[in-house]
Amino acid sequence: MLEETLVLFKNIRNPKYDKSLAGYKNTGGFKSLKKVFGMKPEEVVQEVKESGVRGRGGAGFPTGLKWSFMAKGTGKPSYLVANADESEPGTCKDRELMLKDPHLFLEGLMIGSYAVGCHHAYVYVRGEFFPAIKILNAAVDELYADGLLGHDPLGSGFNLDITIHTGAGAYICGEETALLDSLEGKRGQPRVKPPFPAVSGFNGCPTSVNNVETLACLPFIFSDGGVESFKSFGPQNNSGTHLVSLSGHVNSPGVYELRMDVSMKDIIYEIGGGIRNGKKLKGVIPGGSSSPVMKADEIDVLYNFDDLAKIGTMMGSSAMMVFDEDTDVVKLLHRITRFYAHESCGQCTPCREGTHWSRQIVRDFLNGNGSEEKLKRLDRVGGNMLGTTLCALGDAAAMPIQSFVNKFPEEFRKYYATT
Amino acid sequence: MPLLNEFPMPVFQIDGEPVEYEPGEKVLSAALRCGKIIPHYCYHPGMSVVATCRMCLVDVVDLGNGRPAPKLQTACSVDASEGMKIETFNQKVEEGRKLVNEFFLINHPLDCPICDQSGECTLQDYSFKYGSGKSEMDYSKRVNGWRDIGTFVALERNRCIQCSRCDRFTREITGTNEFGMFNRGHELAVDTYTDRPMTNKFQGNMADICPVGAITEKEFRFKRRVWKLKKNHSICTGCSTGCNVTIEHDRNEVFRLKPHENQSVNKWWLCDEGRLTYRKMNEKKSRINQPLGLIGENLEGISWEKAYGAIAERIRELKPLPHEVLALTDTHASNEELFLIQKLLKEGFSSENIFCPFPTWEQSESDFFINTLITTDKTPNRAGALALQIKGDQKNKKLKKAIEGELKVVFILGNPFENELEFKEIIKRTQLVIHIGVFHNSWSEMADVVLPGQFYSEKEGTYTNKNQRVQSTEIAVKALRRTRPEWQIISELLQALGHKSSFESIPQVFNTMVQEAKAFTGISFDKIGGFGIELTKNTKDPGKKVVPEMTAI
Repeated sequence: MLEETLVLFKNIRNPKYDKSLAGYKNTGGFKSLKKVFGMKPEEVVQEVKESGVRGRGGAGFPTGLKWSFMAKGTGKPSYLVANADESEPGTCKDRELMLKDPHLFLEGLMIGSYAVGCHHAYVYVRGEFFPAIKILNAAVDELYADGLLGHDPLGSGFNLDITIHTGAGAYICGEETALLDSLEGKRGQPRVKPPFPAVSGFNGCPTSVNNVETLACLPFIFSDGGVESFKSFGPQNNSGTHLVSLSGHVNSPGVYELRMDVSMKDIIYEIGGGIRNGKKLKGVIPGGSSSPVMKADEIDVLYNFDDLAKIGTMMGSSAMMVFDEDTDVVKLLHRITRFYAHESCGQCTPCREGTHWSRQIVRDFLNGNGSEEKLKRLDRVGGNMLGTTLCALGDAAAMPIQSFVNKFPEEFRKYYATT
Repeated sequence: MPLLNEFPMPVFQIDGEPVEYEPGEKVLSAALRCGKIIPHYCYHPGMSVVATCRMCLVDVVDLGNGRPAPKLQTACSVDASEGMKIETFNQKVEEGRKLVNEFFLINHPLDCPICDQSGECTLQDYSFKYGSGKSEMDYSKRVNGWRDIGTFVALERNRCIQCSRCDRFTREITGTNEFGMFNRGHELAVDTYTDRPMTNKFQGNMADICPVGAITEKEFRFKRRVWKLKKNHSICTGCSTGCNVTIEHDRNEVFRLKPHENQSVNKWWLCDEGRLTYRKMNEKKSRINQPLGLIGENLEGISWEKAYGAIAERIRELKPLPHEVLALTDTHASNEELFLIQKLLKEGFSSENIFCPFPTWEQSESDFFINTLITTDKTPNRAGALALQIKGDQKNKKLKKAIEGELKVVFILGNPFENELEFKEIIKRTQLVIHIGVFHNSWSEMADVVLPGQFYSEKEGTYTNKNQRVQSTEIAVKALRRTRPEWQIISELLQALGHKSSFESIPQVFNTMVQEAKAFTGISFDKIGGFGIELTKNTKDPGKKVVPEMTAI
């Protein structure tokens, strides 16, 4: 029987765990931070590189490598921004961490800040996460009261402040450059890259934007023997455990912490307890709504970055959405296209026009106005958005469209064959 | 200082041709500088790069390391690098542009026949080139409606393609921030904030930079189709900045002024006040349209020969001494006219009694270049008069002495000292007053002979701007039949008075001026070219004041 591997959820799965600072310290909290303060920042970055931890926000970019790109000697301050604007449909892992174990994440943020030489770290929290905002603020206050934040924590000579900043409810602000614009007080719109945030980010200073879960991995990596055991949790280049937000038509949905060498089939049928009401599986969206959909016969694959990329989809933010045989795929796609049409920032053309147009076409099918020509057009409009936009939202909107059309064409045909 | 050639600029290739670039320059910027055509909407050389229109797609076949870029890149955001190879016209690129252009058109109203931008609309041009000619969009188009946004421009938002140039213009160029992008996604629209009208003095530029017909000039709308307009390079004479303009006219009527890029003067911009000076070019009512002479009590039309003959005869009779002659001129006159009238006095009467008004003027000191364009000196050639050492204001002692002495002959060029009634009283009593000018004014009423000149748009000439840059104008429209350019009138007057020097053309006058006037040494008419040339010997303008930033009206 497949079971969770508890690294990030070690405390959360402990029913007696108290999420206060004292409680976190009792479980060995801030030991890693102490250890890190004894190392040089370059050594910390090297160690993170060694561990092979990849960004958990969706792109899966190696974190250590990202930090090593940070411009040095510019005379400007460096910043670390935690991306807690978790808004990918289906994803709810960062929320769990922030609600139930805020200090784990904050310790990770402090380790990261030390590594990149940041003296003022920001947490950009999704505006709708009211409880999480409250809890994070309380946790930061506790840290200040304890002397772990502010001037010279643990006698390290390293000063650090943390500010919790709330977003205003835009999916696009989860994109790192849009997040930085929003953090600066501007309209949240992705910026042109290059320059990358590592060179010119928050207020034009070198900045690293990291996902909450990525940062939460750091305390474990810097615990004794952390790097080796972290690497042992998955195949090469996919080290560590990750939080899988399992949702949809399974018997027990939820957020589970799993190794990276587990097959999707096992996750759905063992962790998730199978499809509810004994129905058959129709398909899975493997990594948040923006990843290409998978059919039922494709799920015998290891659930990690590289293995999913090999079969032409992506793990994204590890949000697995399972749907059973009764699901109307066209309605599902309509819901997804509606989301992207609503969340497109509108600045660049293919995404602004394409997301809305594709939504209109999908709606046509639902209204009984579909046709073979429109199915082709839908695929074409999706393809035109793919790879032509400024940020990844255009791709995120295009990939589900193309994969739904190509994998479930008969579902669309049902709509206009019968009318 | 090392010679530039010792450090040649690095080179990359566009369509197999080498193109030089400055380190850090973007591909599109280098390509446009070299005259290459890459379609684009959101990119403007004067503003930040946002790379949002996605039209300037190019194929990077070699990134400089032997490998191609994985997908089409936007030329406006890719840094040029050594050894890079770009293709702008292969099948992949054409296909990419076609796809992007389709997205522009699905919600753009195809109302070209009634759109004023038609003919100078880049969306129209690129659609002809890359469009499919057939739309697959079978839903109703987005409707955002029009907005009354300001005094000078009209906003038709249905035509907007969200390139954000106008938004960036008010943020980055004027710094007034009154314009912005609202809503998001499909509903993204431009507007002013909380329905406040725009007040900046440079709104016309927003119509210029708008690639489509979303923002158009209220002044020009629906007056003439742009493809009918003929264009001539000229200088804006609205103030002493001397912005480069294109006079756009049809059937001898000027319709608008558009800025002409000159990096040393106005970059790409022109103020609204300057744009409105086109009205004066069409002014017919108050124009002096033929030579006039005082016959009995009234000014009556006479021929040019008769006018010159009468003047020469009167002067022979009066035999004025040097201090009995006076010339008053304004600084609307070109360098050549000022030089010639100075010469007329010197050679005709051995007199140096030539004066023009010199009020102090202000220029704002602003972080934004564009706000420093407008000066309070509303004449184009004050610096030219200074360079020719013509001085004077109402308090000038020499001028006072000259006016209060015994005057016999007075030349008036243009409309100088228009508010000095005292001067006018005295000069009225003079025996011979000759007025050379374009418009009727109080001077022409008191004159004995009135000689009709021509307006800027009708004659050639050079003007010296506030930074001592000499720039030339072209003839744009035909002048009235019985008028002559002022420089020719003065030259003919010299001949009528029995002097040999005769001038046939502006270059000839200019080159004589270069020889005789010290300040113009070292330049020649040919060197002025399209962008002007700065005087080598800078004369200081004592009347110049730099004041803190002008507030918007």
